[in-house]
Parts: sequence; C-alpha cells; structure tokens
Amino acid sequence: MSKRKRSDSRQTNQQPSPKSSSKPSLQEHDELWRQRQWVKLFAEVTLKIRQSLQFKEILRTTVTEVQRLLQADRVLIYQVLPNGTGRAISEAVLPEYPAILDLEFPEEVFPTEYQQLYAGGRVRAIADVHATDAGLSDCLVEFINQFDIKAKLIVPILQGLNSHESATQNQLWGLLIAHHCDRPHQWVDFELELMQQLADQISIALAQAQLLEHLEEIVEVRTAELQEVNRSLQQEIIDRMQAEAALRRSEEQLRLITNALPVLIAYVDDRQCYRFNNKAYEDWLGKSPVDIYGSDLQSVWGTDCYQRMQTHVQSALLGHIVTYENEITLKDSLPCCVNVTYIPHLDDRKEVKGFFALTSDISDRKAIERMKDEFIAVVSHELRTPLTSLHSALKILATGRLGTLSIDGQQMLEIADDSTERLVRLVNNVLDLQRIESGEVKMEKQVCNVSALMIQAIEAMQPMAQQHEVVLAMKPIDIEILVDSDYIVQALTNLISNAIKFSSPDRTVWLTVESHKNAEVLFQIRDRGQGIPSDKLESIFERFQQVDSSDSRRKGGTGLGLTICRKIIEQHEGRIWAESTLGKGSTFSFTLPRLNA
Amino acid sequence: MPAKRVLIVDDEESIQTVVQFGIQMVADWSVLIASSGTQGIATALAERPDVILLDVMMPDMDGIATFKALQMHPETAEIPVIFLTAKAQTSERRQFNDLGVSGVITKPFNSLDLPDQITKMLDW
Repeated sequence: MSKRKRSDSRQTNQQPSPKSSSKPSLQEHDELWRQRQWVKLFAEVTLKIRQSLQFKEILRTTVTEVQRLLQADRVLIYQVLPNGTGRAISEAVLPEYPAILDLEFPEEVFPTEYQQLYAGGRVRAIADVHATDAGLSDCLVEFINQFDIKAKLIVPILQGLNSHESATQNQLWGLLIAHHCDRPHQWVDFELELMQQLADQISIALAQAQLLEHLEEIVEVRTAELQEVNRSLQQEIIDRMQAEAALRRSEEQLRLITNALPVLIAYVDDRQCYRFNNKAYEDWLGKSPVDIYGSDLQSVWGTDCYQRMQTHVQSALLGHIVTYENEITLKDSLPCCVNVTYIPHLDDRKEVKGFFALTSDISDRKAIERMKDEFIAVVSHELRTPLTSLHSALKILATGRLGTLSIDGQQMLEIADDSTERLVRLVNNVLDLQRIESGEVKMEKQVCNVSALMIQAIEAMQPMAQQHEVVLAMKPIDIEILVDSDYIVQALTNLISNAIKFSSPDRTVWLTVESHKNAEVLFQIRDRGQGIPSDKLESIFERFQQVDSSDSRRKGGTGLGLTICRKIIEQHEGRIWAESTLGKGSTFSFTLPRLNA
Repeated sequence: MPAKRVLIVDDEESIQTVVQFGIQMVADWSVLIASSGTQGIATALAERPDVILLDVMMPDMDGIATFKALQMHPETAEIPVIFLTAKAQTSERRQFNDLGVSGVITKPFNSLDLPDQITKMLDW
C-alpha cells in the first residue's frame, strides 16, 4: 500500500498548536475522545470507500464523510486536468456557502510549479487565509474570498501509489481540500492525518478504477472481437442459407423443367445407382423418384430389361456416349419402345463419375417405321409377280417368234424391256435396303474363303463385262473371313457393276484384296473411268445420290446400289469409302474384320 | 435337250402363260398347268411330270403345304420340285432348301431362261 513517508514531506505553515500541559485537561480528554471517534469513523469511511468500485461514488462518499468528520464547511475534490486547468468534481458543502462543484479553474489559480510541489507530497494547512503569514498572494485571497474561505487544508491525491517502481515520479491527480468558511480554523494533526489517509485511499481507488477501466477496456475489446466473430459467423450462416436457398431454387427449377418433359431423365452414379429421376419415372413405371433414389438399375428395371441395358451402361461408365433402342415394360404391363441416350459425366480429372440418362418413347415412330417397312415389303413383293409376267412377255416378244415387228416396233419393245429390267432392279434394291435397314434380316455369317467370294462375284459380272467390252481382273487371295457370303457377293457385284458401267471399252476393272496387320481385310475395286468429283465422294453413298442425275437413266442404275453396299459392310463391322481422281478413275474400298484376328 | 414334261403350279394366269410360252419357245418341253396346290397334286399324281415349278405364295394351300403333300405320296415324292418365289432372302432360301426342294427361282424371272436354269439345277 502506501509507501509515502508523510512526516518527511509534510510541510505545514500552520501556527504551532498551543502547548498542552502534562496532565490531561478536560479539553485534552475531549480531544482524545474525538480522536478515538475519528479513528473509528475513519475505519468506517475506508470500508465504505472500499465497498464501491464506482470511482464517482467513492469521491462523493469521501467528501461527505470528511465534511462530517471534520465538521468542515466545505470539502471538495479538485481534479487537475492535463492542460493545467482544474475542476471541482465532487463537493460536500453546507447550504449557506456557495458551491464550487463543476467550476473550472484557470491554470493561473494553480500554476504548474505548485502542482509539482504537491506532486512531491506537500500538504498545506492554512488556519487563516487572511493572515499575513499565510503567504497567499492578494489576488488568490481575492479569488478565494468569493467562496467565503477562511481556513483551508489541502492534501494531494497522487497517481501511481500502487506502483512498485519507486523510481517512478508520483503524478498529481488532484487535491482533497477542506474549507472552513465561518472563521479561521487551527488544523490539528488528526485532521491532517485523516485527510492524508483519505487522499491515499482515493489514490488507491483511483488506481483500482483505472485498473477496472483497463479491464473494462479489455472486456470491451474482447466483446467487440467476439461480436465481430459473431457477426461474421452470422454473415456466414446467412450466406450459406442464401446459397442453400439459391441451390434449392435452382433444384426446384430443374425439377420443374425435368418434370414437365415427357421423357425419362435421370442421373446414375458410377455404382449404377440412381441419383436423380424426374417425375416421368412415376408416370411410366409407377415408381416415384423418392423410391428410386439410391436404387440400382437392375432393381428398377428387372433382370431381363437390365440384361439388354448392361453393355450400354458399362460403355457409358467407360466414358462413351451411348444411344440405343430398348423395349421396356410400363406400369400397366404394356411394352414400350424407347430410345435411350447415356452421356457420361466426367469430373475435372476426366474420371467418369456417372452418366446422364435420357429415355424417350419412340413407339409412334416405331409403329410408323413398321408400317413403312410393311408397305415397302408388300408393294415390292406384290410388284414381283406382275413384273415377272411383263418381263417374260417382253422377252418372248423380243425373240420375234410370235411375229416380226417393224424397226420402230422393235425400238419400242427394247425401251419397254430395258425399263422393265430397271424396274425389276429397283424393286429388288428397295426391298433389299428396307430389309437391311429395318433389321428384319440378320447377316448370317459363315466362314468363307475370300478367293471363293471374289470368283463368285467376277463370274456373276462376266456377262455384263463382256457386253461392255471391259476386262475383269483379279488376284485371288487365300484368307478366311466370317461373313454372310450372299451379301458380300452382292456388295462386290454392285461395286464391279458400277466400275464396268463407268469404264470405256477395253479398259480393265481390278478386284484386289489385301490382308492388313490391323486385323482387317481390305477389298478394292478399281476402274479407270471418268472419276468422281471430290465433293461427291461422301454423298454417293446416300440413297438416290448419283454423280450425275442423267447417269441413272443412261447407265440403268437405281441409285440405291452404293447405299445397299454401305449397309451390308456396316452390318459386318466394316468401313466403305471411295477415292477418285477426275479423268483417271475411281477406287472403291471396304474393310471387313479378319477371322480370329 | 431331251424332251421333258414340266408342271407349273401358280394361281396367276399370266405367270402360267409366260412360263408355258418361254419354256416351249426355248426347249420344246411340254408344259402342264395347275392353278392351285390341290390341282397341282392331282395333276402330279396323274401325269408324273419330270419337274414341278411350284409358286410359294398361293391362297388356300401355299407352296410349302403343297410340297409337303407331294412328299407324302410315294408316287410324287421323287419328282423334283423347284419353288418360284418373290421372297429372295438368304434365310428363306435356306429354309426352302432345308425342306428338301431341288431349287429356288426368284421372281421376277425371265421365262426364256427357265429351261437353262432347270437343267443346271437338276443336272439334266
């Protein structure tokens, strides 16, 4: 606690008190009693001061109690402000005297040098301010007269009393001042002692208040920090809620869109389990998206249907886009033809996380396709019988055995005969193409020797070659392939027939076959005809797309031969293409997979 | 070409006529005509032709049923039968061959070529 040595620093310019006799007088006795009372009261005051942490309240208590104890007319606490001025911040004054509380005092009233004296521990006890030995300047006396001050006792309130660093200069915080206003007053030691002790108590309270303030500051800073953390947490919560809401909105929108579409839309993960389904699943299969979520494909579609899906699912999970047709069973047990597309879902590292599945009802399309196929089949089939009669009848007429026709008549007959033959080919080709395209026919693959197929095709085309005076050349090769020989011979004869048609007399048409290391057999039919413009090399494989539309009339083609060839080769997992140099000739090539390659 | 007797079974009269004309014009074979399966079986039993040209698509009794009936009769079982058909599919042709027919000629054909085709098929 206080380490100040009061006796050393104390300066009084008070008149010495009258000498007391050795025997205690009544007055002395009375004084003694008062002193005991004071000690008792002092303890009470100290307790009161310590009971409060409110500095203002402590000051108020102090002035009130001091005023009461000393029976002074005015007790005040004067705070020295940093700019040198000061202010009475607490006061207890009898009602008949003017209040000083809250009055501000200019620096002149209490100059810095005086402040330093008090900081050093000076105590001033002036019994009579008007006494000449009081040492107060006239202007100061005049100043204090306005407050009716007759006697005053001033003790400093120092700051830093708590400090253990003795080197630290105590700072003057303020003054504890007692006034007597009715008459001069001889200050006694007890009064001085009391004032000093209370000033010390105020110092302690001040230090505590500052500590408290400091603590409060820390608490405030911490609170602010916590509030900041809390605010950012709340912001984060708000952000997340907003993000969640946005997500929910976009998901709702996605659901709205996907539910409105009359197709099955789903997302399947890499373990073949559904992670998203639209409402069409419920409409079609009677299973709600909630029920399906997390189920695997097999359990949703059943074993039979899943078997037809399996290879496509695996392909999609290997990262391939897959499109296929399937027949599914709806909730009312009705079959439904569907077109299915799987689009793999790749992550940033290009790894397959699952796939998007789109399934659409193609029953109507299938029904129309079936009708078209049936129509073509019936028409083509029904055309054959009258065509046979027409064809044969014209041929018989052309023999001349039933009567000789005029030159014009013979020409007409030739036109009829040619057109009939072309019609026969057209009907055959249309039916062939329809059957291959509809998938009505499966290629019946058998092991065949390539040279046998080549010979068969060349022999079949020999009459036409002779008619066009074209030489057919080939080099047989002994390789076995797994094909439907009838269809491969049909493709070969189609291509050779084209080559003959577009070759000039005495030219050679070559049929060659090479076995390639990449497990392919390459067939080539080469002519030295007029050639094909490069922009037509692709389109000639489309139906009714000839290089020159007059060709079909002139050459008797149907415009379906190359389309049929392509279909046949594709059904054998091969490729077909054409290369050509205008004026030099064309080469038609196709590949077929090698057997046991 | 030795003289042969051919039975044509077809419900289409125009086919009957052109087949008859064509064969007779080229080969001078005699041609018997039947307009239905039933009639064809009767004629075959009565006349024992060297070959029967049998249309597959006929009302009531089609070519396949007629062929099977012919096979049932010991008198006609040995007579070679060639189908005349508008169906030219490999699988169908194989199905016909499996029945035991001697050959298949696809419509539309030229009746003038028939004697040649028949001679080759039957190794005459």
